[in-house]
Amino acid sequence: MNPRLPTPMLPQSRWPNLAPPSLRVNRVQRPAPGWLRKIGWRTALGALLLGGIVHLGATLAVPLIGPGSAYQKLRELLPANTMVVVAPLQPGKQLLPFLMPDAYYGVCRYSLAGEAVSISAPLLDLGWTLSLHTPHGDNFYVIPGQQLRTTDLALVIVPGAEKSGELMPATRRAPTPSEDQIASPSEEGLIIIRAPLKGLAWKGEVEAALARAKCTPGVKS
Amino acid sequence: MPRFGQLFVKLAAIAVLGVGGGLGSAWYMVEAGSRLTTRSFGPWTTWLAAGRPDADPYTRAHTARNGLLPIASTLELTFYAKTDGEGGQLQSACDYAVTVEGLDAAWWNLAAFNRRGGLIPNGADRYSFSSDSAMREPDGRAVIVVARDARPGNWLPVGAGKITLALTVQDAVMAAAVHTGGSIKALPTIRKMGCR
Repeated sequence: MNPRLPTPMLPQSRWPNLAPPSLRVNRVQRPAPGWLRKIGWRTALGALLLGGIVHLGATLAVPLIGPGSAYQKLRELLPANTMVVVAPLQPGKQLLPFLMPDAYYGVCRYSLAGEAVSISAPLLDLGWTLSLHTPHGDNFYVIPGQQLRTTDLALVIVPGAEKSGELMPATRRAPTPSEDQIASPSEEGLIIIRAPLKGLAWKGEVEAALARAKCTPGVKS
Repeated sequence: MPRFGQLFVKLAAIAVLGVGGGLGSAWYMVEAGSRLTTRSFGPWTTWLAAGRPDADPYTRAHTARNGLLPIASTLELTFYAKTDGEGGQLQSACDYAVTVEGLDAAWWNLAAFNRRGGLIPNGADRYSFSSDSAMREPDGRAVIVVARDARPGNWLPVGAGKITLALTVQDAVMAAAVHTGGSIKALPTIRKMGCR
């Protein structure tokens, strides 16, 4: 074969522009599931929309109309603005579910109707906490105890900024700036002091400390 | 008339599927939680926004429905376990070894409850161990044995029925890591020792 000879060109018409071989497999269009055909897509869409509305409504309604939030359970048991000391929990006598056992609790249901509420509480050790909760269970303030160091707290709970004008009578003494003020987002709520018991040997010390815890209406002068 | 009947059937289907599905999915999201609201580490699960004023509606509903009063999860986390490390349901017919290791800097408490959050009556009158009260092994680990019958060492007695273990850890650094999706110190392992 002579290499100088031009390669014979084949007429274009004999080599049409063929598309490359396709890898697509023609799938048989599956019919919609039987149940969907039976009820129709409009019905399914309607059920989906209704389900979404019910889902949102039920989730948002639970805190408002649920079987009993922690605050609802404790409200009947606790007098307002009084610290109640609860001994370590026993089966059947628990304040709340999943509440840590082997601890003393100082519990006060505060009410800011009319005036601020003063709290004084010692925190003796690690594990001790003082926490403030709204009726919906929001923990809007918490302070933990420190290891081997007693912290004596003095706090004043005042109405939230938007309500302070309405709730604080002018005749009452306003808290001085030196006092630690906590603005409560709700008019009522719970103060919880958790005092873990390391062992029976510490029982007297913990009881004595919690006996000093106070929750009183008004601002101490 | 047949068209009216067909319409009625469709409306009934919408009502049943919509209400049933809506309530069922809400119940699941409120009781069990999802990846949006909880984070799991082995058998332990915690609600990310528990106690926080900016909690999502599912966490709020979970807290209210179960009558809980959690401390803000930015300071303290409570982890719940209903299964052992291999996925078996925790029950009083079996004995379990819970090994706490690596939580030295934190204050912690481990308690056993029934599934509704009630304490389980026992003759020893013991319901929890904490970082203050648990005895340690020479290597610093605390091994707590959850069992119906008495065991030497840290014995956490349980009665009949299914168990939920609640581990409370007060450690702001760990709480921050959980919220940001970072890695945390190892949580206790739960190993089944045997069953009756």
